[in-house]
Amino acid sequence: MPMNAFGLAPLLLVFPLIGVLFNGLVGRRFIVANRNTGEKWSGWFASVMALSAFMVSVLLFLSLRSHEYHAEVVHLFDWLAIPSAGFRVPWAFQIDTLSVTMMLVVTGVGSLIHIYAIGYMHGDPNFSRFFAYLNLFLFFMLILVSGNNYLMLFVGWEGVGLCSFLLIGFWFDKVNEKGEPMNANAARKAFVANRVGDFAMILAMALTFWSFGSLEFEPVFSHALEMFESGEMVHFGLFSASLGSVLTAVTTLFLIGATGKSAQIPLYVWLPDAMAGPTPVSALIHAATMVTSGIYLIVRSNVLFEIVRASGATIFGIVSSPDLVAYIGAATALLAGLIAFTQFDIKKVLAYSTVSQLGFMIAAAGMGAYVAAMFHLITHAFFKALLFLGSGSVIHGMEHGHHHIHAHNHGKEVHGTPQGDTHHEEDNFDPQDMRTMGGLRYRMKTTFIVYMIGALALAGIVPLAGFWSKDEILAHGSEHNLIVYILLTIAAVCTAFYMGRQLKMVFFGEPRHEAAAHAEESPAVMTVPLMILATLAVLGGGLNLPFLSQGIAETYHEHPGGVFLGLEGWLEHSIAAFELTEEGVVHLPETPKVFSPGVAGISTILAVGALVLAFYVVYANKPKTAEEPDPLQSTPIWWFSVLPLNTLYMNYIVPGFNRLAQWLADKVDWAFWHDFFHDRIIRDTFVGFAHFAANILDLKGVDGMVNGAGSLAKRLANWIRQTQTGYARNYALSIFLGTVVLLAYFIFMAN
Amino acid sequence: MPEVTIDWYVALSVILFSIGALGVLLRRNAIILFMSIEMMLNAANLAFVAFARHLGDLDGQVLVFFVITVAAAEVAVGLVLIVTIFRTKKSINIDEIHLMKG
Repeated sequence: MPMNAFGLAPLLLVFPLIGVLFNGLVGRRFIVANRNTGEKWSGWFASVMALSAFMVSVLLFLSLRSHEYHAEVVHLFDWLAIPSAGFRVPWAFQIDTLSVTMMLVVTGVGSLIHIYAIGYMHGDPNFSRFFAYLNLFLFFMLILVSGNNYLMLFVGWEGVGLCSFLLIGFWFDKVNEKGEPMNANAARKAFVANRVGDFAMILAMALTFWSFGSLEFEPVFSHALEMFESGEMVHFGLFSASLGSVLTAVTTLFLIGATGKSAQIPLYVWLPDAMAGPTPVSALIHAATMVTSGIYLIVRSNVLFEIVRASGATIFGIVSSPDLVAYIGAATALLAGLIAFTQFDIKKVLAYSTVSQLGFMIAAAGMGAYVAAMFHLITHAFFKALLFLGSGSVIHGMEHGHHHIHAHNHGKEVHGTPQGDTHHEEDNFDPQDMRTMGGLRYRMKTTFIVYMIGALALAGIVPLAGFWSKDEILAHGSEHNLIVYILLTIAAVCTAFYMGRQLKMVFFGEPRHEAAAHAEESPAVMTVPLMILATLAVLGGGLNLPFLSQGIAETYHEHPGGVFLGLEGWLEHSIAAFELTEEGVVHLPETPKVFSPGVAGISTILAVGALVLAFYVVYANKPKTAEEPDPLQSTPIWWFSVLPLNTLYMNYIVPGFNRLAQWLADKVDWAFWHDFFHDRIIRDTFVGFAHFAANILDLKGVDGMVNGAGSLAKRLANWIRQTQTGYARNYALSIFLGTVVLLAYFIFMAN
Repeated sequence: MPEVTIDWYVALSVILFSIGALGVLLRRNAIILFMSIEMMLNAANLAFVAFARHLGDLDGQVLVFFVITVAAAEVAVGLVLIVTIFRTKKSINIDEIHLMKG
C-alpha cells in the first residue's frame, strides 16, 4: 500500500481558517502598533496559510497518483442526520481528480494573488480586514470544491457569495458623483443576482434528495445510473415521473444556479459591477475561482447531464437541458465579447471578457466536453488572473503617477501615504480609464510584457495556454453543435479584437494624461506573482496538449498511475463517459481527443486578423487625446454599450424577483402558511380542543363530578339529619325498637 | 298454695321492665323518666338473681352488684344534670329540651 496523505484533507480548511482568525482578531493590532512590519505580518501570514493549503493540495495530488487515481472520501463527521426521513449528510471530503484540480487552481492562483495583494493593498486602512476576507474566501471555496455532497457544496457556494459581497463592498464608503454608495450597491447587486441562482440550487437539492434519497455525489450518481439502466420511474409519494424529466428539472435548476454564480445570461449583470472591489479580488474571485464554481457544479454533475442527454428528455419539447446549457454559454460568450468593445474602464473590459470566457466553459460543459471546460477553466484562471493583476499594476502605476504630479504641483511629499484605489475622486481623475493611459510600455516594462502575454493567451495565439484550451472547445463544437461552434468562433474573434484595443490604448501610443507620463513600475511583491502567472499562461497549454493524449488508453493500462497523462487522462477518473446499450450502462473507453487543424487554423487566422485589425486599422493612430471619441463610437457595434441589459435587470428581473418574493411572502407564506395553515388549521384546532377541554371536560365533567359528590353528601346529610330530633324520647324509642328488632332476629331467625 | 317457680319471677321481671319502658317512652317528667329507667334496671336485676338461684350459679348475682354500682353512679350524674337543667330552664319537661336537634 503506497503512502497517501488523504487524512490531511481537513487541513485544507484549517489553514485558511487560522488565517481568518489571525487577521480577524489580532492582525489589526500589529498594524496599529507598526504600520510596515504589521502589514508584513498580516499579509504574509495570510499568504503562508494560502501556500500551506496549496501544499496540502499538492500532497493530495501526489496521493491520488500513488492511489491509481481512485477517488477517496475522507469522512470527518456526521453533520446532519434525520434518521426517520433517511436524511444523512456527512461532512466529508471528496478527493478525486476533479476536486484536486480545482483545489490546485484555487490555492495555487490564490496564493499568488495573496502575495500580490500585500503590495497592492499597501497603506489601506483596513489591510488586515482585507486579508481576513481573502482567507475566508479560500476557506469557503475549498469547502465548495472538496465537499462530497451537494449540501457542502452549497455551504461553500453561499460562503463564497458572502465573501464576494464583503470584498466587492470592501470600500463600501466610497460614493460616486451623485453621492450614491456605488460599491455598496454593486456588492448588493451581486448578492441579489446570486440569490436567484441560489433559490434554484435549493430547489435542485430538494428534488435530488427527493428522487434519489441522498445528497452525496457517489450515491446520487450511482442510483441515477441504476434507474437509468432499469428504466425505473422516480416515485414521489402518489406521483411518479420519468427519470429523464426529473433530471431535466434538476439540471435546469443547476443551470440557473450556475448562471448566477458564473455570470451567464440572464444573471451576468452583477459581474461587471463587481469590479468595484479591489483588483486582487477581481482576479481571485471574479475571474479565477468563484465564478468558475458554476462550471465545477456542471462538470461534477456530469452523470446527471449525460443521462438527460441519453434519455432524450427535453424542456417542453424544445431543447434538452445540456443543449440549453451550451446555447446559454455560447450566447453569453458572444454578447459579453461584443459589450467588451465599448468599455473604457480597464477592469470592465476584463470583466466582460471574463463573462465571455465563462460562456466558453459553460458551452463546453453543455456539449459534454467536460475536460475541455476544465482545461479552459485552468488556463483562464492563469491568464485572466494575470490580466487582472496586471491591470491592478497599471492602476497602481497610474495612481503613483498621479500622486507624483500632485506632489509636484503642491510641493509636498505624499508618497508615504498612498491609499490604493481610494483616492481617485480628487480632480475627477480615474486611474482605471483607458483613455487617460497610453504609452505605458516604456514606464512599466515588466507589467507590459506580462500583460502582453496574458492578452495574447486570452486572444488564443499559438502556442500560449488560451489557444489550446479554446481550440479544444471549438473543435468539440465543430463536431457536435454547429450553432455553438459559430457563436463561439465569433466570440473568439471579438476576444482578440477587444484585447488588441486594450493593449493599444493602455501600452502603446503616447501618454494622454500626465499621470500616464509619470506612471511607475510596481514593487517586486506585485511583479513576481505576475511573472509566475505569465509563465503559467505560456506553459499552461502543456497540461492537455492534443498530441499528448494520443494513445492514452494503451499507456495508461500498461503503467497505471505511472506517468502524468495530461488532463484528459487525469480527469477521466472523475468524469464518466457511458452509453446505454442492450446490456445496460456501458462505460466507454477513453477516446483520444481529435486535434482539428482546420478549426485551429481558422480560429488562429481570425484571431490574428482581429488583432491586426484592432492594432493597425481601427486604432492605428487613435486615440491621440483623452477626449477623442472611440473610432467605433459611430458604428453599430457601439449599440452594445447602451444595450438595455442593465435596464432589463433593473426593470424586469429585479421587480420580477421582488414580485415573486412578495407573492411568496404575502400569499404562500402569509396568507396560506400563517393565516390559513397556522391560524385556521393549527390554531383553530388547538383553540377548539382547548375550549372543549376547559369548558366541557373540565367544567362540566371533572368539576361536575366533584361538585356532584359534594351536593350528594349534603343532600344525604340533610335527609339523615331529620332523624336527629333532639327529643330524648325519640332516641329512646328508636333504641327500644332496635332492641326489639334485634331480639326478634335472634329469637326467630338465628336458628 | 301454689309453689312459686322461676316463671313467677320472670313474669314479674317482664311486668316491671314493661312498666319501666313504657314510662320512659310515655312520660315527660324527667324525674319520672329517671325512676322508670331505675325500674327497668331492677327488673333486669330481678331476672339475674332469679336465674342465679334457679341455676345455682353465682355469676348472675355478681353481675347484679355491678349493675347496682353503675346505677348508683348514674343516679348521681343524672340527678345533677336534672338539677342543672331545672336551674337554667325552670322546667324538667323532657320535650322542652331539644338542643341536640340536628
